[in-house]
Amino acid sequence: MVLKIFFPQCCVQAESGLLIGRWLPKHNSAVVLAVIHFPFIPCQVKQYLCQLQNLIKLELAIVGSWSKAVKGQEKQDNFMEDLCTIFPQGDWLQMYSEKGKRGFDCRVIPRNGTKTMNNDKNVVIIHYDQRKVMLSQLHPADGLVLGSQKNVSELTMVFQTVSQSKELFHSDKYDEGPFKVTHWQSEGREASIIIELCKQASVPVCFMINCFLTVWFWMCKSRILNLWPARFVSSKLSTCVQLSHRAEQLQIMSNPRKTSEHLEFMRKGNIFLSFLIDLALGLLLISWLYRENCIARLADMLVPAADRVAEELQQLLQWLMGAPAGLKMNRALDQVLGKFFLYHIHLWISYIHLMSPFIGMILWYLGLSACLGLTIALSVFSDIVALLTFHIYCFYVYGARLYCLKIYGLSSLWRLFRGKKWNVLRQRVDSCSYDLDQLFIGTLLFTILLFLLPTTVLYYLVFTLLRLLVVLFQGLFHLCMDLINSIPLFAMGMRIFRPYRLAAGVKFRILQNDKERPLHLLMEINPLTFSAVLKWYRIPTYSCYPKDSWGALCKKLFIGELIYPWKTKHTKTD
Amino acid sequence: KCAYRHPGVRWRKVLYEPQPFPDNYVDERFLEELRKNIYVRRYRYWSVVFESGLVAQQLACVSVFVVLWWYMDRGLLTPHWLFGTGLLLSTVGYVAYDLVDGGLGRHQSGRTRWADLKSAIVFVLFTYGFSPLLKTLTESISTDTIYAMSFLMLLAHLVFFEYSTHMAVASSSLSLSVAIFASVCLASRLPGSLHAFATVTCAIEVFALWPLLLRRLKSHVPQGYVAVSLLVSVASVAVALSVTVVGGVLLALLLLCISLLCPYLLICLQLHKDNIHGPWDEAEITEDLSRFLR
Repeated sequence: MVLKIFFPQCCVQAESGLLIGRWLPKHNSAVVLAVIHFPFIPCQVKQYLCQLQNLIKLELAIVGSWSKAVKGQEKQDNFMEDLCTIFPQGDWLQMYSEKGKRGFDCRVIPRNGTKTMNNDKNVVIIHYDQRKVMLSQLHPADGLVLGSQKNVSELTMVFQTVSQSKELFHSDKYDEGPFKVTHWQSEGREASIIIELCKQASVPVCFMINCFLTVWFWMCKSRILNLWPARFVSSKLSTCVQLSHRAEQLQIMSNPRKTSEHLEFMRKGNIFLSFLIDLALGLLLISWLYRENCIARLADMLVPAADRVAEELQQLLQWLMGAPAGLKMNRALDQVLGKFFLYHIHLWISYIHLMSPFIGMILWYLGLSACLGLTIALSVFSDIVALLTFHIYCFYVYGARLYCLKIYGLSSLWRLFRGKKWNVLRQRVDSCSYDLDQLFIGTLLFTILLFLLPTTVLYYLVFTLLRLLVVLFQGLFHLCMDLINSIPLFAMGMRIFRPYRLAAGVKFRILQNDKERPLHLLMEINPLTFSAVLKWYRIPTYSCYPKDSWGALCKKLFIGELIYPWKTKHTKTD
Repeated sequence: KCAYRHPGVRWRKVLYEPQPFPDNYVDERFLEELRKNIYVRRYRYWSVVFESGLVAQQLACVSVFVVLWWYMDRGLLTPHWLFGTGLLLSTVGYVAYDLVDGGLGRHQSGRTRWADLKSAIVFVLFTYGFSPLLKTLTESISTDTIYAMSFLMLLAHLVFFEYSTHMAVASSSLSLSVAIFASVCLASRLPGSLHAFATVTCAIEVFALWPLLLRRLKSHVPQGYVAVSLLVSVASVAVALSVTVVGGVLLALLLLCISLLCPYLLICLQLHKDNIHGPWDEAEITEDLSRFLR
């Protein structure tokens, strides 16, 4: 089996010394993390290792020796071999670079150390960028701790080993220690006063938000708001739903505990950014709305628009009460339905006119809600649309109920017509002998319902189309809201500006392929695709989409069941 | 040939034993089991006529109903008169229904007179209540459509009527429903709601009640059945003649054909029956033949 050595690129130029790393015996590979330079005292090295192991909670070891070719110096082979007896912790790698040659050689001395095997062909040296590997998160990401899992791929082990040994890389160039160590080092800390201030401020701000949220949730839980009508109405108003969603998100975000897990960290970042964007867009909207008295103009437009809709509806009803498109309607039923709906519209218009003096003021105050974010403003607007088109909803409900009644009546009477009946116990259609009077009345009703069906269907169709139009309109708003709510902006930004932070995998490039030297590969990080970023980091939202598929929707429309833009109906479980 | 090759081995018609014959082998005893015309029945002419009378009878009923509707449509018959006559005739029929078997059937079914009265009240009340609705029901649908629909429905009534107790396609409830549907369709063409009411009650009497009485007559008083059948047939031809001569003649010919000619044909053709039955499975074509049609 080939021995794989993961070697940090920054250590290629290091002075001679010892290699600190970790053996992955299951996968037959070793991860080199750092080089300890000569001179050192073995005792101190062992102590240092112990400290590191306590800190990192990984089984680090001296995996071998590293010798760099220096001009005018002979090989220190024997000395290096002797070193392996000082640190007897497994196989011993002996790596040395030669003068004037790119790359370096490697010899493996097995644990018992009796025989030196120069098996170049069985060694692959893989160079990796220590900083990138340390910072990147290999997907599928799961917050598992090393050692507690069974079947982890080798690559995951390597990534986790490097990222867990962050502590090792903490010391920078200027730190003094008992000996010099080469690994990836930051160029010293850069401090920005703004960032520091933000960090300091974030704790009290989080605390305040938490306090506010506690009060808010306490208010929401109070008895008055949980009475039946209040709760029902608030579950239907998208403003309330969006508000509670935002409150929950705030609670997640303002959690004062430091996040350790990658996913949680990303979620907080995503929520924070979406919050910020939402607020910024909302403030933009406010500045537009209140600058040129847009609100007043909007209010002036609203009442005529509602009037106009009502007028159009009246015309539509007049048309339906005639002979629409030459359809064979039952005239009497047609007149009754038409007059009923006309009266309804009349009621609606008078209601709107009663409201009209106050609409400007109401809109002015409602417009202020945009400072809570664009999504809130959108949901308020969607609610206003729903309230203004309430008559259409009512028509739709009447039409659908009537149609549903007819369809169910016809389907059961059709069975009676054929001399069958629905057997509830066996869930099938059985034949049945009816009495004469049952049969007679059933057939009479069937005939009547059948001839009245086209009229009902027409009314149902027209009002369903109107309703669907409104639902589509509202659905667009909800789609916008959901977009703002759910897009993981933080993860997207990370993918754009620091592609290596979110790794989907790695690719290898051949650096050197000499006959008598081991194969040198360069490991590069494959960034996650954007669709995968969306898939992994999409912020969970309350779903505002209809859960039905298109087929189910069509079926519901056909049998006259009510459709809603929201989904509240729980599936029955027997 | 095979038996000759294996002397002493007797072929058996089984596949579960090893035999020195191919699977499709049969020997000369195969045709011994051939039978011919084992299910053939010998009919007597008049009994066939007696049984097939019901078909002609139902046809006559349908034509009587249609002619009555036609009279009403033309204004030759007032709904009061039709309803009164219908009521009278059904009372007579109701009494006759119990007298024919001396109350035996009523005793067996356990149906009380109160239930009968209730059914009658339900019929009348519902029909009367719905008759204004029935009148406006099909106003916007063209008359031709209604006629075509009624014709198809009455045809379906004749097809699905339960002429004898063991028929495959028969469904008494379907045939009755279809007839009522047709009567409602026709009633909606009449000028007044009272007309519609009279027509639908007439339909109940003709299509629902009359066959019950007729069936009981047939099983208990065959002479009475024959007489009543003849009477109804003659009456139907007579009323049809009063509408159109051609229609009346055609109806008479059709009735004669069904009740006299068809039984004769059945008996004649019975002689030519040639069915063979044997120990083989009859060939059935279950393969999908649609590819030959392309």
